[in-house]
Parts: sequence; structure tokens; C-alpha cells
Amino acid sequence: MRHFLVMTLFAALASIVFGAMGKETTQERWLYGVKVFAEFMVIGLVLSWVLYFIP
Amino acid sequence: MVKTERIEAEADEPTPSSAWLIGAAAWFVPGLGHGLLKKWPRALLMGGAVWLCFFIGLNMGGHMFDLNAAEGSSQLLQVPPMIANLGTGALYIISWLLGYGFADDPAQAARATYEYGNTFLLIAGLLNYLTMLDAFDIAAGRKS
Repeated sequence: MRHFLVMTLFAALASIVFGAMGKETTQERWLYGVKVFAEFMVIGLVLSWVLYFIP
Repeated sequence: MVKTERIEAEADEPTPSSAWLIGAAAWFVPGLGHGLLKKWPRALLMGGAVWLCFFIGLNMGGHMFDLNAAEGSSQLLQVPPMIANLGTGALYIISWLLGYGFADDPAQAARATYEYGNTFLLIAGLLNYLTMLDAFDIAAGRKS
């Protein structure tokens, strides 16, 4: 659980910076930040399951 | 204006010296560059994320890199992570002067969050490089 929380925190902090500096309008920035956050989380979870099956 | 014309127009305009100063300030104190440009929400969000990332990393027992290589390791291998750590500017320099976060302590390395801490410290620096470039671009008039 702790690992997941740390990963979420990491994704949130990185996506805040990416979201704040990307795109033009506030709405686009929000959407971009959420998208980056979702990508971090999904890729992190997929990679962790892939690594789980590798001895 | 198409992209190539915009690039040509930008190439003709010299970068104002204030942009370099703001870039340096943004590197030295995370968030200060945007603060000087009066972009308060961005200063708070981007600078805050860097500060938070740095202190979470330290709190997790993370280790920062300098050129004093540990026994048996190459000094050259310390350079890339040191560059990433250096991105936090004054936070790195103050920690280095105080000797906090640089010790090669086996007890610290044994902590479950040690590697997470290292990653947070590296990412804090890299995110601040992005913040610095953003502040520089705004100050140079290349972005709003």
C-alpha cells in the first residue's frame, strides 16, 4: 500500500509541473495534467505487474 | 504566422538580459522565477511541487550525489545524478554546505524508502530545470 501511495504522490507532483507548463488555456492545462497523471499511474501499474511475474 | 516564420522572427530578436536573470533566479530558488514574473499560481504550483518533492525525498532518507565518490565507485558515475540533484539550486547547495543528505550511511541505505527518496530528490532537480526553462521562456516573451 505504501508503495502505491508513494507512486501516486510522485505522479501527482510530476503531473502538476507538466500540466502547469504545457498547453495554452487553463482548461487545457487541467486536462493535460490529469492525462499525464493517469499515464504515470497506468504505466506504473502495468510495469509493476509485468515485473511481478519476472523472477 | 507559420512555425518556420515564427522561428525566424524569434531568431532575430535578442533574448533580454532580464530573462537570463529570471532563469537563474528560477534555478536558485524553485518558484522564484515565476514569482518575479508575477505568475503566482504557476509559482505556487511548480515551485511548490519541487520543494515538496525535495523535502519528501530527504524525509524518506534519500541520498544526494556530489563528486566525492564512495569507495569502489567511479567518480564519473556520480556526475549525471549530481547534475539532476543540482537542479534544486539553493536547496542542494545548502544541504551540501550542511552535509545533510550526502552521507553514505549503511543504516540509511537499509531503509525501505531509501531508493524512493533518491528518486524524489533526482526528480525534484529535474522538475526545477523544467520550471526554470518555463520561467525563462515567459521572460523572453516566447510564451505567455
